[in-house]
Amino acid sequence: MKPPAKMSKPTSLFVIFFSLFIMSEAVFEDQVGKFDWRQQYVGKTLFAHFDSHSQSSNKLFLATDKNIFASFNSRTGDLLWRHVDKVGPEGTIDILVLHGQDALMVVGGGRLLRSWDTNMGGLNWEAVLDTGSFQAACFVAIQDTVKHVAVLKKAAISLHYLTNGHQKWVENLPDSDTVQYQAVYSGGEVEVYVLGVVPNSHLTIIAYSLEDGEIIKQRSVEAPWLSSVESSCVVIGQGVLMCVDPATLALYTLPIQAEEAPQFNQILLQVTPVQPRLEVSLGFQPVLVSSQPHPARSPISEFFLQLGPDHHVLLQLNADGYTIAALRDFQPAFLVSFATTGEKTVAVVMTPKNETLYVHAFLKKDDSVDYRVLVQTQDHALTFIQQPGRVVWTREEALADVVTMEMVDLPLTGTQAELEGEFGKKADGLFPMVLKRLSSQVILLQAWLAHLWKLFYEARKPHGQVKNEVTIETLSRDEFNLQKMMVMVTASGKLFGIDSKSGSILWKHYLENVQPNAVFKLIVQRTTAHFPHPPQCTLLIKDKDTGLASLHVFNPIFGRKSHIAPPALPRPILQSLLLPVIDQDYAKVLLLVDDQYKVTAFPSTKNVLQQLQEMASSIFFYLIRSDQGNLSGFRLRKDLSTERIWEVVLPTEVQKIVAVNGKRPNEHVHSQGRVMGDRSVLYKYLNPNLLAVVTESTDAHPERAFVGVFLVDGVTGRIIHEAVQRKARGPVHFVHSENWVVYEYWNTKSRRNEFSVLELFEGTELYNSTVFSSLDRPHLPQVLQQTYIFPSPITTMEATLTEKGITSRHLLVGLPSGAILSLPKMFLDPRRPEVVTEHSREENLIPYAPEMPIRTEWFINYNQTVARVKGIYTAPSGLESTCLVVAYGLDIYQTRVYPSKQFDVLKDDYDYVLISSVLFALFFATMISKRLAQVKLLNRAWR
Amino acid sequence: MWLHVRLSEVCLFLQAMFILACCFSDMESGPIATSGSVQPNGDRFKIEGRAIVPGVKTQDWISSARVTVEGEEYIGFLRTDGSFVVNDVPSGSYVVEVISPGYKFEAVRVDITSKGKMRARLVNFIKTSEVIRQPYPLQLRSSGPHTYFMKRETWGWTDFLMNPMVMMMVLPLLIIVLLPKVVNTNDPEMRKEMEQSMNMLNPNPELPDVSEFMTKLFSGSKSSSSKAIGGSKASGRPAVKRRNYCNWSCHGNYNTIFFKRAFSFVFCK
Repeated sequence: MKPPAKMSKPTSLFVIFFSLFIMSEAVFEDQVGKFDWRQQYVGKTLFAHFDSHSQSSNKLFLATDKNIFASFNSRTGDLLWRHVDKVGPEGTIDILVLHGQDALMVVGGGRLLRSWDTNMGGLNWEAVLDTGSFQAACFVAIQDTVKHVAVLKKAAISLHYLTNGHQKWVENLPDSDTVQYQAVYSGGEVEVYVLGVVPNSHLTIIAYSLEDGEIIKQRSVEAPWLSSVESSCVVIGQGVLMCVDPATLALYTLPIQAEEAPQFNQILLQVTPVQPRLEVSLGFQPVLVSSQPHPARSPISEFFLQLGPDHHVLLQLNADGYTIAALRDFQPAFLVSFATTGEKTVAVVMTPKNETLYVHAFLKKDDSVDYRVLVQTQDHALTFIQQPGRVVWTREEALADVVTMEMVDLPLTGTQAELEGEFGKKADGLFPMVLKRLSSQVILLQAWLAHLWKLFYEARKPHGQVKNEVTIETLSRDEFNLQKMMVMVTASGKLFGIDSKSGSILWKHYLENVQPNAVFKLIVQRTTAHFPHPPQCTLLIKDKDTGLASLHVFNPIFGRKSHIAPPALPRPILQSLLLPVIDQDYAKVLLLVDDQYKVTAFPSTKNVLQQLQEMASSIFFYLIRSDQGNLSGFRLRKDLSTERIWEVVLPTEVQKIVAVNGKRPNEHVHSQGRVMGDRSVLYKYLNPNLLAVVTESTDAHPERAFVGVFLVDGVTGRIIHEAVQRKARGPVHFVHSENWVVYEYWNTKSRRNEFSVLELFEGTELYNSTVFSSLDRPHLPQVLQQTYIFPSPITTMEATLTEKGITSRHLLVGLPSGAILSLPKMFLDPRRPEVVTEHSREENLIPYAPEMPIRTEWFINYNQTVARVKGIYTAPSGLESTCLVVAYGLDIYQTRVYPSKQFDVLKDDYDYVLISSVLFALFFATMISKRLAQVKLLNRAWR
Repeated sequence: MWLHVRLSEVCLFLQAMFILACCFSDMESGPIATSGSVQPNGDRFKIEGRAIVPGVKTQDWISSARVTVEGEEYIGFLRTDGSFVVNDVPSGSYVVEVISPGYKFEAVRVDITSKGKMRARLVNFIKTSEVIRQPYPLQLRSSGPHTYFMKRETWGWTDFLMNPMVMMMVLPLLIIVLLPKVVNTNDPEMRKEMEQSMNMLNPNPELPDVSEFMTKLFSGSKSSSSKAIGGSKASGRPAVKRRNYCNWSCHGNYNTIFFKRAFSFVFCK
């Protein structure tokens, strides 16, 4: 399917079409921020530094597990700038250290060394490091000025200039195959010390000369108790190595710079003269925490010893370097940290409830000791706290990794529900109905008066006092159902309820003990439409390795866990399906298929089981085993067991199944066919059971690689169509909707991305126009296909969705630049002609052009880019013209799109002034002319 | 005019100076830029270049920009002077793009041979083998800010007056009002002349008046109605054509379709 290289002939025509299309979809400048919002996230913090360069600065620098280096305003928590690196191990940040205005970072497991200008947010330099896994890095100073940075790798140490990143010297470490080098230390002298350990044997200390990297001295110290320098040793005071041995519960000290053959000095914790007695909690591995405030000076001699999960002791190494003194005992204290400014050092201890992780503290003013604390909690929230314990801001960084989401309608208010109820109930006579009507009108009038009163009351108040805060209590559906509740599930297991209008988080719920490799599926079982019953969502959490699953049932509006007990699922779950069957409480039935092909229903009341028995013969489902290349269809039996009715095997040695996608169940198709130029109708093949199966070849050679698309009927297993794209490879992104499949792949021969569209038609006659049955369709559909060049790679793709499906469809394409392109489906129409004819013109077909345009006017998020777009969620609103869109990835962006413009409401630029002034002018003109005519008539009568 | 030309010249000169200066500073910043493409770790190369947004300071845009090679396969960041290096790229052919939410840059295709020879050329997805050389190290100049927004259709008096429909209405009105004032109608010769010309304009005095025709139509006499149908048949083809035009121009845009259908309907009748 190679797109023809020649341009279509009637270029001028194309230009005309084009100019018409410009109008089809774009944002106006005054609409910015009117109904869209973006929230930017960075992920879980790995390293954090305060800008201590200047006193008044309130910048904060973070490096996160999402490979991001970001700067925040510490007063407000707003993002100043951020740099998003590659996903995966090549972009991981190994260390972030800050000196003055420069932030130094080792990236990608010791691949690159980067220096950032923290003021501008630009790169100073980037240096490529030698291969080898990264161990440690530290600044090296001579005579109080920091000029170098030392990077320790598994088998080498290198020294780089801070100004330009050039390597000053690199030296191989001796015996690197036996010695594990883990730490590098510089105390402001002309030597750099490298500490290595042979586990349970001895410690190696090597001193390198700063000038040329020559080994000045090399010592080995007996340490049979030591297994790791990293986890059990710190450097304190004037270069004294302090280690803790969890087995014997002893501290060991050793002066690093010692000239003669050094020995560890043992301090047994039990027998120290220190009060209170240092007792380690049972089974706890003691941890040492120290601080080196400036690379040009030696570390401070005070240090923390953690004796239990919530027990820290602040100790001090005496001047002799052999004895210790206890300064203070902290219990309970979970987190400790040091911070220094000038000559003063603060030790911070913190006792949060059940929350652990990072604390970074710092001093603000010289005279008065002031500090700010940044706490990273287990649920990925980042909290900034000022001195008296006041929370300044909190960022929900869990939202940087949204896995799945749903939009749920907001509930009706009491009055709205009452009004709705009037129409739902059965008529019980004329007179009561009239009464009801009148009473509801009175209620409406009351509500309107109350609203007016409120407006009047608020207008009298001075500005600024009026708050339009959204709370759960005030939430109610608006008249066009444009405001909805976004239920977002994040990879950390934290659930969020976000108001789609303002973007404010209305509720959050942290599910503890969710495995990091869990997969989620969010199912709306009951919407808000069934008033006395609360809406109900079910989250299926499945362990990817074992397949064992659990259910979390909750109310999507309030986030509260439902009292309904979910069924116990002892066996791994293979498939879940939501049936259109509802129980007596209007909850849709969820079926879960386990690895023995037994089916569990939730809810599983008697009513539901009875309904299932009746419908069993018409319930089909499919299972995919991509490791075996197996796609099989099953049917439900009356006793809730299943039988296999078909199987498709795609040999795994040739190709592997990448993705399988059906159509969205809430999708409506308004028109059954397309009117052609000669006034005949081409009927669409609208099979609701159609599955699109995408495969990729196992052979990755560019000449032999291919991408396959199979259209399989999910009930009968019949392969409706098979399209193979030669010399192509993934990643394949595709959308399956109505009667078409659009997929995108990489053309290995021409090195470009291509879009291909498959459209299925029944022909000019419908076989059975009343009902579609997969079992009774003798004719295969006609399949049309066309391919186009797309001038950019894409990250995700979704189609717009509207209430009734009347509005034309657009494809929303997430680009790596973070833009979301709204591409009219009209451009992806396999009937686009190469030569324009009368008929094709009548059908509004755009002439074929091989290259798809990307216009920045079609970016629905203008400059509000969404980094690493992972998914685009579309939901219909109450207005047919409007589709709600949420793009999520690192950021979250919410907006509305109008694929056919706003044809059902007045546009927001509707010129009320002009219309009313014209009306008034006409009105007065008629009045005046009437008067004039009267005068004229009178005059004529007199004549 | 002269001043203008002169100014632009000066600007050009300054820009040239700027680029030169940048090149020099690059030289000074040394080994990274000049140490050659081959890197210590095997057959990995680096792509170098510089991105410039004319008239904008680098600190205003570099913190939100980055360099992507073939999507997000390799990523580089911009230095404070706008130059960039993408490290660790194996040999192959890549599309290099500077991505900034504020400014647009042209993408460039960079080919790296297995020996590390570099070549930059224009991206052409249709003729993939076509080579139009670009400078290497890359010099990417922004062609200005992105245009994300549509201009609102504003309503002005001039638009209204310049509308052909309005012109068609206003001009005859002017003629009707002004002509009698200009031409002396009291002159009997003149009047005669005008009457003659009027007769010329209306060569067939038997042709029924429009209003007369309408009354006949609505009075429901059989003969006239059949005539009317005949008339509409005769005018059928151009009407269809006109409708085609309407359909063709509105593209599934519902309100416009509706409007235009209605319009064409009126027109054809």
